[in-house]
Amino acid sequence: MKYIFVSFLIVVSLNISAQELFVVTEPASNMPTGAIGVRIAQSLMKEKFKSGYNYHLMPEIMWGANKNLMIHTSAFISNRNRDLVTEGGSVYAKYRFFSVDDIQQHFRVAAFGRYSFNNSDIHQDEINTMGHNSGYEAGLVATQLIKKVAISVSGSYEQAVNNTTVNKFPTNQSNNATNYTLSFGRLMYPNKYKNFKQTNINLMMEFMGQTLNENGKSFLDVVPSLQFIINSQARIDVAYIKQIYSSMKRTASNGLYLKLEYSLFNVTK
Amino acid sequence: MNLRVIKLIKMKNFIVLVLITIFSINTKAQIVKAELVATGLTCSMCSNAINKQFKNMPEVVRVETDLNTNTFTVYLKDGNTLTPESLKDKVEKAGFFIGSLILTMPFNNVKAADNVKIDAKNTSYIFIDTKPQTLTGETKVKVLDKGFVTQKEYKKLTKSLSKYPSYVQNNDNSFHLKTL
Repeated sequence: MKYIFVSFLIVVSLNISAQELFVVTEPASNMPTGAIGVRIAQSLMKEKFKSGYNYHLMPEIMWGANKNLMIHTSAFISNRNRDLVTEGGSVYAKYRFFSVDDIQQHFRVAAFGRYSFNNSDIHQDEINTMGHNSGYEAGLVATQLIKKVAISVSGSYEQAVNNTTVNKFPTNQSNNATNYTLSFGRLMYPNKYKNFKQTNINLMMEFMGQTLNENGKSFLDVVPSLQFIINSQARIDVAYIKQIYSSMKRTASNGLYLKLEYSLFNVTK
Repeated sequence: MNLRVIKLIKMKNFIVLVLITIFSINTKAQIVKAELVATGLTCSMCSNAINKQFKNMPEVVRVETDLNTNTFTVYLKDGNTLTPESLKDKVEKAGFFIGSLILTMPFNNVKAADNVKIDAKNTSYIFIDTKPQTLTGETKVKVLDKGFVTQKEYKKLTKSLSKYPSYVQNNDNSFHLKTL
């Protein structure tokens, strides 16, 4: 449910080849040094076990610390308990350590890690440190760009801890998981660039899966999305998250995801 | 001495003075324009990241971008002391790499040939793979060093240019130029 969409939020950084500015996963490339990105991600997921929708709001600030390192901080706000409440936050870092670039193509690999805290109740099997669980995640991502197409794969280990002394992690659930993603992106428009002002349109298809290490339960989601890049500086992503299968308890796995993002260049040295 | 001879001497002095002036400009070997192809990108947002890096440099007058070929033409202020390294630094800060760098440099009567070294304020340039010739006026030269050509091209060049010891050494303080 909500969990899922949350995870993807983190993901995208600005200013990379747009085709790899994935909506729900993060590519191996980073933001430019000194740039700051401001992002607002929202998801509206249909509740499975009760009526209504679960709404999540996730403001995020991203910074290109140097050519290889970028850092994100996010806040997690949701209406899980009726009113919109800030439930937690996270810090994320990604370090690009391998790059083979050529004319209009690259292959890059990065390592990433996240630490999150969240005070909400734990009410599903899925582990998601982007808005649902306190804990951490560490993994690797590899991205190949060839002209108008980008393909990215990632794998990570995610460990959940107690959310609070009251909202403890249930002892009968697996508190760690293996995550894997596969993303495709393609530049659809323009065929030929004219200037920086021209709106770019990208079509994305992403797959996100998780397996709980202690009991083998798993899920797989597919996320088709459309992305508009405006003035080579702002981004609007519209996505739909659809569960393909799941053997774990998830409370809201299907829904809409909207992300707005704006980059400011050369803010820091 | 008659007036004519005096005039001639004055003229000679003037010519010498002009020559000295030209010579000293010459030794500055500054870059007035850089045509650069960046690698690892196709999207306009990525090109914009590089564009903004260049525009943030005080030495830059203007930047022209061809988004379809990821080519940036950077016009530099007169008297700048920028080196190819500072341009590379900016591209890499944006998250990309240089695939090709062609510099426009004003030369005055420079006798270019293999292994001829010319000094600039913050660096030096060495001609390689260059037939003996006299360079005068704005001249285009290609930088052949590692990080200024694609990774594939550099591999080829280390073989084909192995007879130039300074090129193989890959010294950070000098750049190897080929006239175009």
